[in-house]
Amino acid sequence: MISVADLLIDNRIPGNYFATDAYVQGDLELGLLENRRGDRLLALPETLIQGIYAGLDKETGQATRLVLMNCGRWWGKNFYARFCEELNDYYGTALADMAMVEFLQSLQQCWLTHGWGKIDLDQSHQNRGFLVVEIVNSPFAQHAPKLNRPVCFLEAGILSSFFSQLTNKDLYCVQTTCESMGADRNRFLLGLAKRLEPVEVMVENQLDHETIMQKLCA
Amino acid sequence: MHQQIESLFDEAESRYLKPEELGVLSQYVDSLPQRLETYRQLRDQELDLMQQVANQLQAAMPQEKTETLERSIKHALLMLRYCAMSMLLNDNSFVQNRLLSWLTRTVQTYNTQTVDMTLYRLLNQRLSQVLSPQQLSLLKPPLALAQSTLLNQVKA
Repeated sequence: MISVADLLIDNRIPGNYFATDAYVQGDLELGLLENRRGDRLLALPETLIQGIYAGLDKETGQATRLVLMNCGRWWGKNFYARFCEELNDYYGTALADMAMVEFLQSLQQCWLTHGWGKIDLDQSHQNRGFLVVEIVNSPFAQHAPKLNRPVCFLEAGILSSFFSQLTNKDLYCVQTTCESMGADRNRFLLGLAKRLEPVEVMVENQLDHETIMQKLCA
Repeated sequence: MHQQIESLFDEAESRYLKPEELGVLSQYVDSLPQRLETYRQLRDQELDLMQQVANQLQAAMPQEKTETLERSIKHALLMLRYCAMSMLLNDNSFVQNRLLSWLTRTVQTYNTQTVDMTLYRLLNQRLSQVLSPQQLSLLKPPLALAQSTLLNQVKA
């Protein structure tokens, strides 16, 4: 016999933690935009992102990609920790006990609410040890210089950090398609560094994502 | 209508509201006592209502695992709570933004539509017994939206 009263823990049924109107708050009289936990949020104007790219290029030239990748990694590590804390606090379950679908839902909503675009996971090659992350409407692709190669190093960094922590493996990340090159979406390939070694060359040779996956999983 | 009212606020810098625009606000305020009463009914009857539905659901679908039924019931509780709030605010976008865009994916992944269809039928029956026709008509817009979206009949 199902007891409905037992289904309500503390009379609460948690909903969508990252729902925009619930998540984004702030004391605007003091110029503070915050999330519902009190962590500071910031609106980044497009011109600032363009400025960052331009400044990095001017000062570090070729090293821009490395700088952005490392920034992304650092961000990703902290983002993962905070994300898990927030989910744990709100849903009252340890991350290990959370169903993958719920975890992914939350990640997608989080990404949406922050205005970083739409993120999705392609698990079709997971049994071969590869995860593909797809991001549409990335602000970092939109305002990057058009270099005829993938430019979302910040996101590649975040994703490698985030999923490394999630899977407890040292995952590397290579972007295979980029919105800045006219692709329909940004695709990021995650896997062990050794196995992704051939991918960077394939991307430079302008191979499309499907071909890359075929060659990798052959 | 909540959004309608909000967009009226934007006019404040250009001009005072016209009588018909004030009418929108006034209509909402007039409907508030009914809405509050409906909300109170739903709040006070929540457990009883849902327990009856749960009992009927178990009887109607004895082959389903308890875990599956419990999941659908939990979602329905959440749906009803959000629909009640939506009804109170007269704002369908509330249930859309807070619930539907998030829950639809879960429903699809766990493939609970079959259970949900039966559950909603039982729930709607129960609601028509607990609420008066006017109260039910206030709840109908967000409830219909939620149920049809979650059953994948409408894009979220």
